[in-house]
Amino acid sequence: MRRKLRLLLLCLFLFTVFSYGQIKSKSQTTNTELPESFLDRTEFKVGFVGTVFWSNGLSVGAEYLWKENEKTKTRNDKERTNTHQFLFNVNLGFVTNFSSKTDTGAYTNFGLTWRRTNKKGKQFNIELNPLGYYRSFLPETYEVNGDSVDKVFLPGRGYYAPSLSVGIGKRRKGKVRSGSYFNINYTLRTPYNSGALPTFSLQYGFRFNFKNKKQ
Amino acid sequence: MKQPLADTIKIGFLAIATLLVNACSNDHTLSNLDATVFVRHKGADMPAYIKGNANEKIFLITLHGGPGGLGLGFRGNAFNQIEDNYGVVYFDQRGSGMSQGNYSEDDVTIDVMAEDVLALVKVIKRIYGNDSRFFLLGHSWGGALGPATLLKDQSEFLGWINVDGSHNPKDLYFEYIRNFERVAAAQIELGNSVPFWESVYDELDKVDADEVSLDDFSILNTLAFDAEEYLNDDGIINNAENGNVKVSDYNILTFIWNLLKIQSILDEDIIGELSFTERLSEITIPSLILWGRHDMVVPEFYAQEAFDNLGSSDKKLVFFERSGHSPMFSEPNQFAEEVMQFMNQNK
Repeated sequence: MRRKLRLLLLCLFLFTVFSYGQIKSKSQTTNTELPESFLDRTEFKVGFVGTVFWSNGLSVGAEYLWKENEKTKTRNDKERTNTHQFLFNVNLGFVTNFSSKTDTGAYTNFGLTWRRTNKKGKQFNIELNPLGYYRSFLPETYEVNGDSVDKVFLPGRGYYAPSLSVGIGKRRKGKVRSGSYFNINYTLRTPYNSGALPTFSLQYGFRFNFKNKKQ
Repeated sequence: MKQPLADTIKIGFLAIATLLVNACSNDHTLSNLDATVFVRHKGADMPAYIKGNANEKIFLITLHGGPGGLGLGFRGNAFNQIEDNYGVVYFDQRGSGMSQGNYSEDDVTIDVMAEDVLALVKVIKRIYGNDSRFFLLGHSWGGALGPATLLKDQSEFLGWINVDGSHNPKDLYFEYIRNFERVAAAQIELGNSVPFWESVYDELDKVDADEVSLDDFSILNTLAFDAEEYLNDDGIINNAENGNVKVSDYNILTFIWNLLKIQSILDEDIIGELSFTERLSEITIPSLILWGRHDMVVPEFYAQEAFDNLGSSDKKLVFFERSGHSPMFSEPNQFAEEVMQFMNQNK
């Protein structure tokens, strides 16, 4: 009983401290005026995608900046400005298992990315791709129906494959190679066998903005 | 700016082309087979890894344990020796290993899985010719799938090799209890790992001795694998060599997900339900039964039961005195010798 009371008091104390902190911190949001040009607002990306041990491949994509705002927070007399962006993104990738030939596939997905960039250019992003498609590519495959055995042309299977990526990155302002990223990706492949297969992969690569002048 | 972009695109296409070529190449040279072929049957795409020397067009089709095991899980010293003489087909069953597909849970039955094996035979005949001949080998759960296949059509096979196979999971639960009591008493008398074997009695007290439940079965099954480790520590069974499965052969997450899924579907139909004992007499092709004397997972009682009930006039039972559930890894040379002798005699 005494332990519960102490826990309750601790929670009340923390609540009070944080509430006070929030009163003290002031935040201001400013919407950024975005360039009109499509290319100015679009970054292209290319990188590694895979699980290292079982599948490795390449991923290319693009991100179109939809909305951007700057949030300035003042806490304990220190001012912090972070840029928040919403981007439409599209990815196209190909992965294979060099050892087994049983884990080869291509995918594409579309969705929305939320990204926060701090003053030093360090980024954190969450990428949600509700529209995704994965097509496996199988080696030599034969279909058996009763006594007939037919070789399958371009064997493989298509799966609905929505995905979620969480990762970090670094912005290089004004440069052609405009940033780098490292994401952990979770993709669901369904219908897979008699259910939905969860898969995890790593993504590491670079973003490019070809309208930027500096190399 | 344009040239680097063009170079990047070229490199990208070249890399993708290389990956595709690698993903699709197969070696069907009979003397040195190394091919991965998928069998598409009733909504499933199942990989068959065909290896070894099939100069005589004789193939040993292997059925892994589980359900949900790995086709390539057999590979090791014993199967390397067999591959030197015969073609060996390692097969990821429906919903196992790297199998994929799109089907409902109703399509996961031992009946359909047996048809998958016969579909595999048709595919191998299509690739290597109708004069191809086959032996069938099943380990553990494969020892149930094997009879299910043979009872549908045994005319395709020159012989059946049962390795610690579970042809009768219906009664396995109760045999676990009897076997644990017997082995625990013997090991305690010998003074081997006494605390463990005494704890086995405690575990037996916790399970229902009159009625099969999946949870209790799972406890006893796990205990059986633990028991073999203690038998190994006490020098009763040989150290099992590590198989030749490479980490890169199977995506471990896919394997685990498939394993859990297939077991969640099949276990209810198998544990305490499935038995081929009464129908083994219908299997009349030459048969070889290989068993680890100290198998705790499918106890030796079933070796004798299989031998007594098989309808084959040409049948042989071999016990591996220094083995548990997987004699191919604990006594690989003797195992390979027995398998090849059987195949040589019946080809």
